[in-house]
Amino acid sequence: MMNATKKWIFLKASSVILIPLMVWFIINLALIYDKEYLDVVSFFSTQPSKFLTSLLMIVAFFYSSLSISEIFEDYIHDKKIKNVANKALYIFAVVIPLITIIIMFNLTI
Amino acid sequence: MENNNPLSPHIQIYSWNISSLISISHRIIGVINILVLTFVCLWIFLLLLGETSYDYIKFFLQSIFGKFTILGIIWSFSFQILSEVRHLFWDLGYGFELKTSKITGLIVIFGSIIFTILIYLFGRNIF
Repeated sequence: MMNATKKWIFLKASSVILIPLMVWFIINLALIYDKEYLDVVSFFSTQPSKFLTSLLMIVAFFYSSLSISEIFEDYIHDKKIKNVANKALYIFAVVIPLITIIIMFNLTI
Repeated sequence: MENNNPLSPHIQIYSWNISSLISISHRIIGVINILVLTFVCLWIFLLLLGETSYDYIKFFLQSIFGKFTILGIIWSFSFQILSEVRHLFWDLGYGFELKTSKITGLIVIFGSIIFTILIYLFGRNIF
């Protein structure tokens, strides 16, 4: 299977997972965004929101790294700059959700 | 091996229509949404630092600018959800006709606005 085909399958599979997670997230964002500190900590430190937020972060950053790399493919002419941009993007897509998940699992009321 | 694939031409050479508007918006909003999620990560990080640090972001989110920011975030996510559903239908082979494509494009634009209002009102317990 070609790399481009694999990338397309990963992109579509992650978008199918991401759609219900995004719906869940924006409904809850509207519910909690202006709540007090303890309410927000309670939201992010209890299940199922802890699991769903972690899953959202992993899938969203994975999906974004694939789709933004396509933008780089389309618009960046210089091959070296494109490679550096892609590597920076993949590091960003792994580090940010990983740190966030570790933080969420350390949150206590 | 040297990759000689043609690059996309600059977007300004095309004449604008619903499909091109949704297409470029889908890409721009996708990038905005990942920045939004990075902001959410920062929000969670501030929770770990304690209530005093969290007060800064709470002050912002409870202000009128904060409310508009949240509305903007809900809209950008709604837009991406509907646009992504439209793409998935295309992948299944539906909705390629010009008329259907224009109608679904309009559904993405107006549907995202309606979704935003409904979700925000639901979040405020107005229903």
